[in-house]
Amino acid sequence: MALAQNIGKAGAARAHRHEFVAKMILRSAAGFVIVAIAALIAYLASEGTKLFTHDHVSPLTFLFSPNFNPDAGAPGSLVFIVGSLAITLFAIVVGGPFGIAVGIFMSELAPRRVVDAMKPAIEVLVGIPSIVYGWLGLTLLVPFIRNATGSNGFGLLAAGIVLSVMILPTIITLSEDALRVQPIALREGSLALGATRWQTIWRVLLPAAASGLSVAVILGIARAIGETMAVQLVIGNAGVLPKGLLSATAALPTEIVMDMSGAQQGSLLEHALFSMALLLLLIAMALILAVRIALRKRT
Amino acid sequence: MGDVTITRARGARTAADRVRLRRFVDRLATSLLWSSAIAVLLILAFFVGYIFYLGAGTLSWQFLVSPPSEVTAGGGIGPEIYNSFYILVLTLFFTVPVATAAGIYLEEYAEPGLFRTIVQFSAESLATVPSIVMGLFGLLIFVYLLGWKFSAIGGALTLTLLNLPALMRVTQEAIAGVPATYREASMALGATKWQTIVRAVLPSAIGPLTTGIVLIAGRIFGETAALIYTAGVSVSAGKAAYDLNPFRSAETLAVHVWYTHAESVVPDVARIGNGSALVLLLMVLIFNVTARLLGRFLTIRFTGKA
Amino acid sequence: MHKTALGAALLLAGVLAAPSLALADTSLSAAGSTALLPLVKEAAAQYQQAHGDVKIAVAGGGSGTGINQVAAKAVDIGNSDILAKDHPELVDHRVAVVGFAVIVNSSAGVKNLTKKQLQDIFSGKVTNWKDVGGSAGKITTINRPRNSGTRAVFTKTIMGDVAISAEGLTEDATGSVVSTVGTTPGSISYAAFSGTRNKPGIAELAIDGVTPTDGNVVTGKYPLWSYEHMYTNGPSNAATSRFIAFVTSNRSTVHKLGYILVRDMKVSETDR
Repeated sequence: MALAQNIGKAGAARAHRHEFVAKMILRSAAGFVIVAIAALIAYLASEGTKLFTHDHVSPLTFLFSPNFNPDAGAPGSLVFIVGSLAITLFAIVVGGPFGIAVGIFMSELAPRRVVDAMKPAIEVLVGIPSIVYGWLGLTLLVPFIRNATGSNGFGLLAAGIVLSVMILPTIITLSEDALRVQPIALREGSLALGATRWQTIWRVLLPAAASGLSVAVILGIARAIGETMAVQLVIGNAGVLPKGLLSATAALPTEIVMDMSGAQQGSLLEHALFSMALLLLLIAMALILAVRIALRKRT
Repeated sequence: MGDVTITRARGARTAADRVRLRRFVDRLATSLLWSSAIAVLLILAFFVGYIFYLGAGTLSWQFLVSPPSEVTAGGGIGPEIYNSFYILVLTLFFTVPVATAAGIYLEEYAEPGLFRTIVQFSAESLATVPSIVMGLFGLLIFVYLLGWKFSAIGGALTLTLLNLPALMRVTQEAIAGVPATYREASMALGATKWQTIVRAVLPSAIGPLTTGIVLIAGRIFGETAALIYTAGVSVSAGKAAYDLNPFRSAETLAVHVWYTHAESVVPDVARIGNGSALVLLLMVLIFNVTARLLGRFLTIRFTGKA
Repeated sequence: MHKTALGAALLLAGVLAAPSLALADTSLSAAGSTALLPLVKEAAAQYQQAHGDVKIAVAGGGSGTGINQVAAKAVDIGNSDILAKDHPELVDHRVAVVGFAVIVNSSAGVKNLTKKQLQDIFSGKVTNWKDVGGSAGKITTINRPRNSGTRAVFTKTIMGDVAISAEGLTEDATGSVVSTVGTTPGSISYAAFSGTRNKPGIAELAIDGVTPTDGNVVTGKYPLWSYEHMYTNGPSNAATSRFIAFVTSNRSTVHKLGYILVRDMKVSETDR
């Protein structure tokens, strides 16, 4: 039918017009993505800086004061920033090496059939909603930590463990991809020189895949730092700096979800919460830039 | 024997020793890598088993179809399940056309250049926006600015923004997997680019595309943080809970788990949380299996290849 | 392609036109205080049974949320334990009185605390139950978030000028406070009677020897109570008025759920 239509000048013109219209529609769909992120940035930038422009709070106070009591004019958010960084660090230190190990396994060791069995399992791990991870943390992990340590169970440790599991799929999938794209010749060369498989992985493949692996870790960080529901259920939501792994504290997203609905429009509390949201957005964008830089190094 | 070891350790290691050490390390690493993979599978199996163990007692037809209760024990999750599907359908209705169109554009039309780079960068940034931040964006735009109050459509549009990048990526990958010969053959027959895409490229990409869409649908189904301030936390009473009006407040199942724990005063919070968690997990499993089966079926149907 | 575009446009138009259709039914929405939530939910269920054409959606969120959302016209009624001081446009409807109990995990081993002891515990000065006459064990305080009316009432009545320590946990609402106290040994918090009655694992404490009963609230002997407000943005319309009147009309439901009718109070107090 395409052929029949295209025969004759009228047909050709129509086809040309269709082509143009189609291209414009597709192009505007792609442009929509730019509009969406631009609107998001513009909105958060305007709401998130009111704390500094309207309430005349110094950004340094916001970032480095641990005193968060907006009713008394104190919007210091250090506690939440430290809380977010601490649980993210925990997740990366525990989940990072673990995830990369599984990635190495799937790319270098696993027989085809094992890989085929693990892929759907990892998809399921991705698919489990974060609220269900939180629910498991609340009903399983918190009582376990409470019985094992005598603390009340809520806190950094519980949140960190939950996040470690939640970032696994991201890290596994991306590190597996990073290793798999390395040329076969690299492996064959190393093995031919008498290296063992582990030496090949450790000395040749991992360094060669370094940029891809760092992307895996960076996106793991991005996943962890924005996680809200699972963390909120287990971190304890205490507005104090953590003294140790067992102490209850709070993170940026959990503070937003706890207090946003009750924050009066135009109040210092609302402005501070939007500044936290802006901070989260800036962190996310910085991580994406880091990914871009890591990938550019490779080529 | 002790003497022997010491002498050996002090002196230069023999080549045989080094080989033995290397073999040992290699074997150790191999077993560690195997056990880390097994550990992941065990964690997953444990999660699934534990959620089944917790929720199996709750799961009944009654629980699945009853309205929730705010005060007394015995509430169900009927309207929440309906809302989850309703918001999912609405979200896909908005996401699929835009995301596939954008994906096709990037893969088939866009020349490397500024526009393409900005689109890619925007999509990546959008993909890393934490869902709670997206929820606040939705709150301002849909609830306050447009005055829709808490609504299913506000929630769906927020989820659209959240899932657009993932679906774009899926589209790009599915299209990139279509052999160049298909395009060349179609163009050689005189088809325009658009005709080629619609009649040659998309049909052969339909399998992986569907798999990707259904997997993303599973994630939309479980989203919580972005919906609390956009679709709201309440359902209408009676038959109204099941109507098609997109401008009513629509608490989904995942939100209900949070809400029941956090806000409600029912005595059987644990029962409802356990049951809902099990239903959410079952849905994830169903979506995953469907994704694979449907993808395979469509691939065979449209390309004749297994 | 034209057909698809036309179809999509029609669908979109339909979607956008839906709210005007929805107005044919009377629909009400309320959100806010979780201390008042059980009463409003129960009343809404009964009211809808009697009036099939009315749809009422009720949600929690906390008193601050209720005031915010009704002020932003996101809901028709905002429920609150506290006065909406900063919103002159909101109209107050007092619907009930509710008492708040100080609750502890049963393991704490105390039945009574003085106001001073409560201040010491919540300000973080006293951290072990044995220092206030209980069995030895660490105290975990659990507070409500900033927007909570319950927290505001507790702060005003018990804490006075003593600041609540940020240590300890924060739980969203009445329900999660009660269940977390029930499952966390050594924990202490405060919640409305409507949430604490007959819950497992917790004990309600007397304050300065006065037990938290409706009778003691009515006579003013028990200090921790507050009026419950339903706010409307501007004067309420007929449908909203009828529902708000209905909320307070059924004495047995009000009592069963742990509330007190405003007209039964023997003392009155300026709102907190």
